[in-house]
Amino acid sequence: MEDRGAAWAVVGAGPHGLSALKNLLQLGLDADGFERDTDLGGNWNFHAENSRVYESTHLISTKPFTQFPDFPMPDSYPDYPSHWQVHRYFRAYAEHFGLFDHLHFNSEVVGITTADGDRWNVTVCNHESGEEITRQYAGVVIANGHNWWPKIPQYPGQDTFTGEIRHSAHYKSADVVRGKRVLVVGAGNTGCDVAVESAQNAKETYHSTRRGYYYNPKYAFGRPSDQTADLLLALRLPLGLRRVMFKTVLRLTVGDFEKFGLRKPDHEFFETHPIVNQQLVYYVSHGDIQPKPDIERFDGSMVHFADGTSVDIDLVVFCTGYLAHFPFLDDSFLNLEGDHPVLARQIFTPTTPTLVVSGLIQPDSGQWTIAHWQAMLIATYAAVRAQDSATAQRFYDAMVAETGVRFTGGTDYKDSTRHYYEIAHQEYLRAVEDDLQRLESMAPALAR
Amino acid sequence: MSKRRRASKVMRLWDWSVPPTGAHREVLSIVPEGWHDQPRATRKPPLLFVHGIAHGAWCWREHWMPAAAERDYPVFALSLRGHGDSGGRKRLGRTLLRHYVHDVMQTIAELPQPPVIVGHSMGALISQLVADRYQPRGLALLTPAPIQGAAYMLPTILRRRPLDAAKVVAGGTLPLRAEQLFVGLDQTTAARYVDRLGRESPWAQYELFVPHRIGPVRAPVLVVGTPDDRVVDVRAVEETARAYDVEPVWLPGIGHDLMLDAGWEKALGVLLDWVDERC
Repeated sequence: MEDRGAAWAVVGAGPHGLSALKNLLQLGLDADGFERDTDLGGNWNFHAENSRVYESTHLISTKPFTQFPDFPMPDSYPDYPSHWQVHRYFRAYAEHFGLFDHLHFNSEVVGITTADGDRWNVTVCNHESGEEITRQYAGVVIANGHNWWPKIPQYPGQDTFTGEIRHSAHYKSADVVRGKRVLVVGAGNTGCDVAVESAQNAKETYHSTRRGYYYNPKYAFGRPSDQTADLLLALRLPLGLRRVMFKTVLRLTVGDFEKFGLRKPDHEFFETHPIVNQQLVYYVSHGDIQPKPDIERFDGSMVHFADGTSVDIDLVVFCTGYLAHFPFLDDSFLNLEGDHPVLARQIFTPTTPTLVVSGLIQPDSGQWTIAHWQAMLIATYAAVRAQDSATAQRFYDAMVAETGVRFTGGTDYKDSTRHYYEIAHQEYLRAVEDDLQRLESMAPALAR
Repeated sequence: MSKRRRASKVMRLWDWSVPPTGAHREVLSIVPEGWHDQPRATRKPPLLFVHGIAHGAWCWREHWMPAAAERDYPVFALSLRGHGDSGGRKRLGRTLLRHYVHDVMQTIAELPQPPVIVGHSMGALISQLVADRYQPRGLALLTPAPIQGAAYMLPTILRRRPLDAAKVVAGGTLPLRAEQLFVGLDQTTAARYVDRLGRESPWAQYELFVPHRIGPVRAPVLVVGTPDDRVVDVRAVEETARAYDVEPVWLPGIGHDLMLDAGWEKALGVLLDWVDERC
């Protein structure tokens, strides 16, 4: 078995894997990145088996906060770039920082087991040769994403349903809905996108949601609404006032959701992961999407809803989200609570100081600025560990003491699997920056 | 938990909420033949030149770019918005240093690998703000505008050139004359260069007077000054060097615009030797 010495292994070449790899290398560490597909990009690598973007996917947050802070998206990109542009952007990032020399494609991590002294044996299966190779690493960064393993609900009679049932994981374009009577289940951002595409292409579209939601516009106060939200945060407006302002925008533009047959939200603004979709309400108001409550049961080709109504359906698209899934690792390392890991800073596993996770977050804003700073914290920690493991251990112990602390920005998220990893981006980043500064002050030699 | 000791590297609230919009960017470049085919680990790193007040990419194109390319360096120079042949001239009156930082970052993202950033005067300050968010291969600061803020220079400027000071306060571009920029050029050449100077954003000029705090820079730093500089004084160069814990390199006999003045070969030599050795 090859011993890779002080090198770290990075599992996955999506945005979190790439930024972990880049920051480890930039801090002078050696690192190998493993990707099961033939190209990088993870979820954004459209043709990959586990990619969950569909043809029409665009970012729902705008460039400034979504991009890596040290590698901006080109000015030529629009406010809300498409998944094609995002993928090109990741390739440019990897090219610029020389990551291709350290990335192994067609290389699926199939096993991660402990070795002596907090080291790890990482077994990688090469998809071309079928060969399995095990190498030993000083540490492992898991960045395999949490939006690829479909969460499929079970309703009474579902097994005997005569129509087709499909999870959004396998929804790549509107071709599958054309001419059909479609039921879209779930009001996440995917659910709303699919409902809108279905409204444009299907014969009939029904949209079943658990509760009423706030459907946020993509622009508010003359600018992208996430930038407006960040401006209000920058001005340190209190949560209550921010809620009033955003609700006022909705009131002034769309009006009362209930008059379209949508349900009144049963929660406060910012208490669920934001839905940013301007078109859904439009199609509801045109009768092309018919809102429905929760499903009660399936019966033949009929779907019965909680309000006693029922409709004949050809295709059900479950846009019910994803669960984190780590098939290559024994669950005991991840401090599971039910079906999800509970970590410190949503990065450090409380079980082992050299096993960290990047990307187990769902911010109320863009993702990759946070990916960068998570990676920066991980890389700095790894660099300190390589020089002075006692100092690193002290830092790790301080982190682990805060296992499970959430960064909610004062809101109380609705209980749902989709909020396991929800974070208020500014509060979370402030915490990560404090950690970084603490770590740098413990190891001053590294600061320069 | 330790209290925050310096300006935040992470929380860039204004860039997130009121991001700079793009402007057409003039980027001049010379890439030596065959450079792209050389192995990334051993080929010479790209040099990215960032000009100062009222200048443009042209000031590097005159001597330094071809000479550095002769020594196998791929060289790039941008004109900041509102300068040279870049766009954004109409919005110059509303342009801040962070817009210039945006322009440099956009240029960097188009380069094949991380560059050595070479900033001159105000461009040196911009380069330091860039290095606060992006780890360059190296950071060279030539006759740098002081990162601690140029407020201490005000009394001197007021005494020696009260009209210039009044003009800047009123929002005009800092007048730069041949005798301030050059020591050894003949009058015709000097006048030709001065003619090419454009306008500067009043807000960017005001920002030169306030201190800027940045976090540690993880790259080799070179600071070059000249005792014959009539724009940036010796103290500014010394303070910049001290901020990075390096000794400044002094080039007597050359003026503020050391990429244009007689003796530019020597200044370029200092830069390239440092890149060869340290970056």
